[in-house]
Amino acid sequence: MSVTGDFCTVRPKDAPPEMEAIRKLLAANDLELDDRIEAFVVCRRQGRLVACAGLDHATIKCVAVAEDARGESLSLELGSRVVKLAAERGQFHLFLYSAPHNLPFFRGWGFYPLVEVPQLVVLMENSPVAIEKYCDRLREQRRPGQKIGGIVLNANPFTLGHRYLVEQAAAACDWLHAFVVREDASLFSYADRFALVTAGVKRINNMTLHPGSDYIISRATFPGYFLKEKTTIDRSWAAIDLLLFREYIAPALLINRRYVGTEPFDAVTHDYNADMKHWLQEAPSAAPAITVVEIPRKSIRGRAISASDVRRLLAQRDFSKIGELVPPTTLQFLESKFPAAVRVTR
Amino acid sequence: MKLRRSMLFVPGENAGMLSTSFVYKPDSVMFDLEDAVSPSEKDAARLMVYQALGHPAYREIERVVRINELNTEFGLKDLEAAVRGRADVVRLPKTENAEEIHALEAHVARIETACGRPVGETKLMAAIESASGVVNAVAIATASPRMMAIALAGFDYLVDMHTTRSRDGWEPELFYARAAVLHAARSAHIDAFDVAYGNVNDDEGFLREVKIAKQLGFNGKSLIHPKQIELLHKAYEPTEAEIAHAKRVITAADEAHRKGLGVVSLDGKMVDPPVIDEAEMVLQMAAAS
Amino acid sequence: MKIIKQAIAGTLESSDLLVKVAPSDKERRDVVIKSEVIKQFGKQINRVVTDTLDRLSVSSGEIEIEDKGALDCVIRARVQAAILRGCGSEELDWEKLS
Repeated sequence: MSVTGDFCTVRPKDAPPEMEAIRKLLAANDLELDDRIEAFVVCRRQGRLVACAGLDHATIKCVAVAEDARGESLSLELGSRVVKLAAERGQFHLFLYSAPHNLPFFRGWGFYPLVEVPQLVVLMENSPVAIEKYCDRLREQRRPGQKIGGIVLNANPFTLGHRYLVEQAAAACDWLHAFVVREDASLFSYADRFALVTAGVKRINNMTLHPGSDYIISRATFPGYFLKEKTTIDRSWAAIDLLLFREYIAPALLINRRYVGTEPFDAVTHDYNADMKHWLQEAPSAAPAITVVEIPRKSIRGRAISASDVRRLLAQRDFSKIGELVPPTTLQFLESKFPAAVRVTR
Repeated sequence: MKLRRSMLFVPGENAGMLSTSFVYKPDSVMFDLEDAVSPSEKDAARLMVYQALGHPAYREIERVVRINELNTEFGLKDLEAAVRGRADVVRLPKTENAEEIHALEAHVARIETACGRPVGETKLMAAIESASGVVNAVAIATASPRMMAIALAGFDYLVDMHTTRSRDGWEPELFYARAAVLHAARSAHIDAFDVAYGNVNDDEGFLREVKIAKQLGFNGKSLIHPKQIELLHKAYEPTEAEIAHAKRVITAADEAHRKGLGVVSLDGKMVDPPVIDEAEMVLQMAAAS
Repeated sequence: MKIIKQAIAGTLESSDLLVKVAPSDKERRDVVIKSEVIKQFGKQINRVVTDTLDRLSVSSGEIEIEDKGALDCVIRARVQAAILRGCGSEELDWEKLS
């Protein structure tokens, strides 16, 4: 029993009646409901919803407190309960994205700023030392050389295009550090994607394949709800992701160049590459600038090999065409995991 | 004679309340491991209460620990913490019969021996929260020499009785239970506590209930908010006339004692020992205000 | 005692502290304390935390504390709770907890 209000947890997928009230409270705070949220901590006073905080895996989202309920103890209890909810769900390393003017509020929740896109958004984590500890572990994996490259792959799934990219990058560097984005995408789990990358780059002997990092942000995790305009959301995601890379990951590994494939198809990624040049090379920063190197994608019959094509062909179970686009290890995996429909004749 | 007007409930896992409740100087503080603590926090609350029991500021106040019922997975662990933590009193919730007190007593003695605490030092109190408890109140109150108080817990009792608080008048729905608990307490020469008043914003309602409890003869009341302490103490304050009379009784008793007389008399009437005890209690309350 | 899994105890509320513990592959204790009263009470908080961990024989682990002005007894209780949860232990050795 709490003197600040009645707290409870609700799950959006149970379609509880609270969802309408939550939407209203968020709207009153210029926020929209993020549909990836798995659970909300809500607080009611005399039956009226006065506060909520949502959880999407390890990211806290959609935090709102009614204006007349704003006061220290309610907010701290809200924070405590959402942190506890996350722990019960096995999540101890938590992140949140905040409008910069709310930073002090979340410092009270034990969150510390990592990177900020001025006036737009600041990424915070619930530890004063986690990023440093992560960088310590990265520093142990430094390699000698002048040209140290970095590359980030979604590899959804790993194609010949990816392999070409990695081979080109490794050939141009003394050492290449590759990261796989840790996100369970709709068709392929992170574990599967990582295994395919591992198999696909076996021949390259001057690279380190790093497991997915909490500090490489997938677009899906990034909350869109409080920035409203889609372009702003995408740019902000890119900025956060790239600032983390420039200010923490690259210096730890002494990465001075980042490799990326040119992106003819996907508009989001195309813009991302442009953002990459801005945030890694041009933007003023205490961290050294990183050269962005675009590598033209490998094509087959005039068309750049892309994972999205592979996924499209997979839907049609056209394994012979897929075989032209992916290495044998990927093909084997796809054939076993997505068997073609078997027609039974009677 | 220990004044037991106010027993302040302090949720065992609330750091803020545990850190400040002694400031309000209740006669007794009850660290709660039962209803105020959610199942997932029982372990943490137990450790908090164990540590709080050792805090110097709480040594000045009578420290009660409300453990979970012994038939839960928490009860015995709570008891270990309470007894080893040198709590003054263990409060057993939802006491139904004397056997439960016997069982509790046996565990307490075992733990006292194990931790080197004088056997018999930890006192017990029972909370009556059901019809069965009310009906067995006398047996419960006399079940052990460790018993020092019996409390009526209104919320669960009324649920058991299929009724609710009437919120005005003389609260007939609680009358029998109050009377039973009081008679059990008095016949066993232990203290009696009235129900907690849940609406912290309703001072008037609280005081109305305090008046009933005081008139019936309750030693005190379970409280759920520090602000209720002063209201209660003030209501229990003896009047000038009562104080004056009490002083005269004590003076007469002292004089009789000095003269070596076996009987105390005042205004031509005999004054029995219980009346003298009562007078001492009045003066104690007056001094405490 | 050996920390075998991540665990938390406590809250972010005033007079309380939030304690997070995690196993470490190194044979040493890394303790990080953040407090709004670190200047006045940093040493004292550190002493209480260290003492509590020593008495529980915790030789390895990552311990992070976010303190909101808690009394020593509360610090002890929360650190103990987090460690016991992190060790998956139900058995309380009261000698080590007082």
